[in-house]
Amino acid sequence: MVYLMTSLPSLSFDQAPPISINEFNDEAKKQLSSRHFKLLQSTDIQKLETNVGVKSISSLLKDIKEDLSEVRKAKVQNRQAKTERLPNAALRGNPLERELNIMRWQWQELQDIEAGKTFSLTEVLVYKLKLQLVTRAFSFDEKQGAKVLASVVNPGKNKEDK
Amino acid sequence: MAGIKIKYTKTERARQKKILKVSERMLPLFEAMEKSLMATINTIAERIEQIREEIEKNRIAAEPWTAVMSDSLVNIDEFISVNKIITKTIDVAGVRVQQYVKVDFNVMPINEDTPLWVDDAIELMQEQLQLLAEIECLKEQIELLEEELLDVRARVKLFENRRIPNAKLAIRKIGQKLQDDERLTIATAKVVKTSKLLEGKL
Repeated sequence: MVYLMTSLPSLSFDQAPPISINEFNDEAKKQLSSRHFKLLQSTDIQKLETNVGVKSISSLLKDIKEDLSEVRKAKVQNRQAKTERLPNAALRGNPLERELNIMRWQWQELQDIEAGKTFSLTEVLVYKLKLQLVTRAFSFDEKQGAKVLASVVNPGKNKEDK
Repeated sequence: MAGIKIKYTKTERARQKKILKVSERMLPLFEAMEKSLMATINTIAERIEQIREEIEKNRIAAEPWTAVMSDSLVNIDEFISVNKIITKTIDVAGVRVQQYVKVDFNVMPINEDTPLWVDDAIELMQEQLQLLAEIECLKEQIELLEEELLDVRARVKLFENRRIPNAKLAIRKIGQKLQDDERLTIATAKVVKTSKLLEGKL
């Protein structure tokens, strides 16, 4: 675990990911025990798998899941969302700003979780979640997004453009 | 009229008069129909333009956040597709056309772990797809109305350039021929009468 963590580049929310998820997984597979690697594989920021073996991470993922569900319910019921953990400020702005706000908040929560847990499984799991967050944040691209929208809304025109 | 044989009879003249009367009554109706079709087509074309502006407005409004649609974790086209465009048959300027009612969408259920932006993207896509479907229906309406307009224009031309002038010419020619025949008959009768009188004197 020590070797793995020292070999990984540091991550920043505002900088492009220095390593891909696949590269990280390959490295982790080499350095971690099969039990730990299995836990790492089940940890996913998107799937919000809540049974990941580290209580603080499980709790965060569970809360995110519940809060997102509450935000959706509130929208349908046309009321203010009463989230447990997710701050209301993160829900402001357009969908892109909101998504980035939520991810930035998740990033900070993960930083709190890993504080003081150097060279532990927690740190490895948090690294993966943070890598997923930053990889996702850097996948947001105006031109690509516009293409995706056009491909759904006007597939014929999009083919013509190509 | 050239090449058409006219029967120089009173019955034929009566028939041509009837054709003229009917044609002169029908022409304004077809002209009105032509105007009505043109006006309807223009109205529909304007509506298409309005919808296009609305689509563009929605696109511009969404532009600040469309980047999120390239999210590496979400494939948005799996969430929404058009199942069927529902229309109803209506009568526009005497033509049966399909009017847009709504779009029936296939929308994949959203799970708890689906990012929140997906909800907004689905809403936007539904709105845009509905507007585009309405444009398609209106375009089809214009096609049908234009076909009808061509047909009506052909009829107007037929009445204006063929039927009415031909009937008028036929009536005039038959009239002249009948008049000539009448004069000839009278003249012949007079000649016969004069000849008989002369024979009597001799």
